[in-house]
Amino acid sequence: MTVRNRVRAWLGRDINPLLLAGAIGLAAWPFLAGDAYSLRLLTMAGIYALAAIGYQFIFGHAGALSLAQGAFFGFGAYVAGIMSVRMGAGFEVTFPAAMAGSAVLAALVALPALRLRSHYFALATLGFGQVVLLIAVNWENVTGGANGIPNVPVLSLFGGTVGRGWPMLMLVWSLVAIGALVARRLTGGLTGAALILMREQPMAAEAAGIDIRRIRFAAFLLSALYGGAAGALHVHTVRVVSPEVLEFPVMVMLLAIAVIGGRTSVAGAVVGAVLLIHLPEWFRPLERYYLMAYGAVLLAMIVAAPWGLMGSLRHARRRWLPEPDPPLPAAGPTQAGPSPARLEIMGLTRHFGGVRAVDGIDLVVEPGESVGIVGANGSGKTTVLNMIAGTDRPDSGHIGWAGTEIVGLPPYRINRAGIARSFQTLKLVDEMTVLDNVAAAAWREFGRTDRDSARAAAMGLLQQLDVAQTAWRPCGALPPGLRRRVEIARALIGGPALLLLDEPAAGLTAAERDSLARTLAALNADGTTVVVVEHDLAFLERFVARIVCFDQGRIIADGAPAAVRADPGVIAAWLGQPPGEGDDHG
Amino acid sequence: MELLQLTINGVALGAAYALVALGFVLILNATGAVNFAQGDLVAAGGFLAVALAGLAPVPGILLLPLVAVLMAGVGLAVSAIAYWPLRDRPPVSVFISTIALGIIIQNGLNGLFGAEPRSAPPLFSGGYVEFFGLVVPHQSLAIMSIAALLVGGVHVLLTRTQLGRMLRATAQDREIAAALGVPVGAMVALTFSLAAALAGVAGLLLANQFFITPTHGTDFIVKAYIAVVIGGWGRVGGALAGAMLVALFETVVAAWADYAVATGLLYATMLAILVLRPQGLFGEAGGRRA
Repeated sequence: MTVRNRVRAWLGRDINPLLLAGAIGLAAWPFLAGDAYSLRLLTMAGIYALAAIGYQFIFGHAGALSLAQGAFFGFGAYVAGIMSVRMGAGFEVTFPAAMAGSAVLAALVALPALRLRSHYFALATLGFGQVVLLIAVNWENVTGGANGIPNVPVLSLFGGTVGRGWPMLMLVWSLVAIGALVARRLTGGLTGAALILMREQPMAAEAAGIDIRRIRFAAFLLSALYGGAAGALHVHTVRVVSPEVLEFPVMVMLLAIAVIGGRTSVAGAVVGAVLLIHLPEWFRPLERYYLMAYGAVLLAMIVAAPWGLMGSLRHARRRWLPEPDPPLPAAGPTQAGPSPARLEIMGLTRHFGGVRAVDGIDLVVEPGESVGIVGANGSGKTTVLNMIAGTDRPDSGHIGWAGTEIVGLPPYRINRAGIARSFQTLKLVDEMTVLDNVAAAAWREFGRTDRDSARAAAMGLLQQLDVAQTAWRPCGALPPGLRRRVEIARALIGGPALLLLDEPAAGLTAAERDSLARTLAALNADGTTVVVVEHDLAFLERFVARIVCFDQGRIIADGAPAAVRADPGVIAAWLGQPPGEGDDHG
Repeated sequence: MELLQLTINGVALGAAYALVALGFVLILNATGAVNFAQGDLVAAGGFLAVALAGLAPVPGILLLPLVAVLMAGVGLAVSAIAYWPLRDRPPVSVFISTIALGIIIQNGLNGLFGAEPRSAPPLFSGGYVEFFGLVVPHQSLAIMSIAALLVGGVHVLLTRTQLGRMLRATAQDREIAAALGVPVGAMVALTFSLAAALAGVAGLLLANQFFITPTHGTDFIVKAYIAVVIGGWGRVGGALAGAMLVALFETVVAAWADYAVATGLLYATMLAILVLRPQGLFGEAGGRRA
């Protein structure tokens, strides 16, 4: 194996020659500049790059705007500074202590804050940062109060000292390199695709067995670990512990680095940090207005290039230097899923305000059955599906699967128990390829880095659903009919025992319906239980043996398709028109 | 007696905070986005009053309409620069763009006025009235009355006028409102200018008794946010009650313990409410946050 292949295998992706050139340029810079001041600026840039790489875990990859990264950074600085001044501890002790301290703090904040959505989370983390600052300023015996603690010693490591200038620069950037490699490894390969799915389509990710809360928690802890590490380096560079490291401008700096450099790219964090640390130098002619210019750059970037410099570069490269699609991967097996089981629904009810959407449903689906659910709009079909899949909770009633109660379980646990679903309104990531949209859903089954096997499995399903030729195209470029099939392929990748489909034929042409009906019949013949909500009776009759008709939250008919079609109650409540011409809207 | 005195001071402070929180909630409802520059708009209003008073030494009450109108114009600019280009992106984008705008405002003020605390002229006079041993500055009375007038005015605007109905329709569901012929873009811009005018007035009111510095903005936005968390999103009354509670912590609790302890307790209260009652003490109009 060549070195390149080895690095590639470890990272789970290729090395970008442009990045390599950039890294070499960056490494040459201090040799060319050389004076103490430039060395210090570059050291600072490395420290901020490390904190920003960490920040990308929660802000970029998990997609949650945390405003606590500055607090983790500052907390790390305080821990390392206080320990080295008051206890004379070396960096080999203070560094892990700062990281661990910040991580513990993150775990405490995560408890109330992490379940909050978007800006509620942002403001809660901001408030937390203010509390840490308040404590630092007021707990004078320990923190030195508003003045902080001066004369933090030069960094000492196992008894030796790491002096200012070159030694510190090398230490900082070595740690940046390690941090960058670890971050790329943790977020590369199949995990990268799973993170995008979780960020862009959280409901679909949960339905694919991905535990979002756990991933967000891990991302938050990782961001704190990196923040604490950077803070420990910072305190030995500025040589003073001061509340300034906890103030809002530090947080804004990290946010700006991630936004300007790129939210998910390690190289973006490095580029952003080097740029922003040097910005005051370049804006020096603006004198005291330079910070205004800094705000303006941030504003311009978020408006004009929301994915940052690295994202824009990637887009430009795709646009101007398009690479031919790689050959389609060979199809491989999906992993065997849970064994078939019985679904038992008893007395299920769900009210929305005064509306009884589901009003006492009893339904048993035997393993291997294929069942169609029909009924007028608003008769409770999708609500029942949502309650089986765990995205909605019944007001009362039971849902048993393989003999155990699944009401109250989160969607990802229900998926892992063998129940997969599609959505009435498609939940695919438009910018991601068809192949990775499907492969990402196999993240749990195939592990963090085995992207090739996951892609092979995805390829097999795409072939089965007749969409293999589109594998490398972004989902957003596909017509709705094909996208529906991609969603079904995604639902199948975990090898589900029970497949729940919500209006899979909506928007499909007659030929596409034929082909989908054949596919579903074949799946059912292979032992997968299929439950399909649909309006199109003619479509259903091609592969289901049993049809259940809903009306106003109750079951009014249950039996063979012909019997249900002839049922006077069904005709009155739902058909009322020649069968087969049901509308396509739910 | 001392408690009563502190409470009166707290209510005056809370009245000014209520204006800030009200503007924050109006924008949050109309756009689903946080205007993080709301606090810096308070500072901007305060400094605008300082600058205007430097040009013409008249009582604050005469400056107030001018500050409100000018700040409404600033609000339009905020919506055009930091909201409109991002209207179809996730709300977090607007959060970041308004952070950037806040940096611009904050450092612009710092460049123009310096970092020294400044004070705006009182609304009427710097005197005070005494009754039953309580000392109530004229300014406090004026703040309470102006804030009450403005909050009442906004309430009437939202509930009794056609314009208010269109604003509320926009807040409830932008797409449906647009389909019904409501000029959604104009309504959002109007909301921003209303919020900025309220923030500007709050700045003028606060800049007399409490001084103002360019970096005060972050404090104000955090307080507005806490007020809204405590009171509940999407409710004018909730924001008001929350603002009062924040101010009472800062006056009454701070006198009983000390400022740091009071602030710590306030944050602890906020976190407890987020965990135990995420819809706020007075409930939430719509939407989920957890």
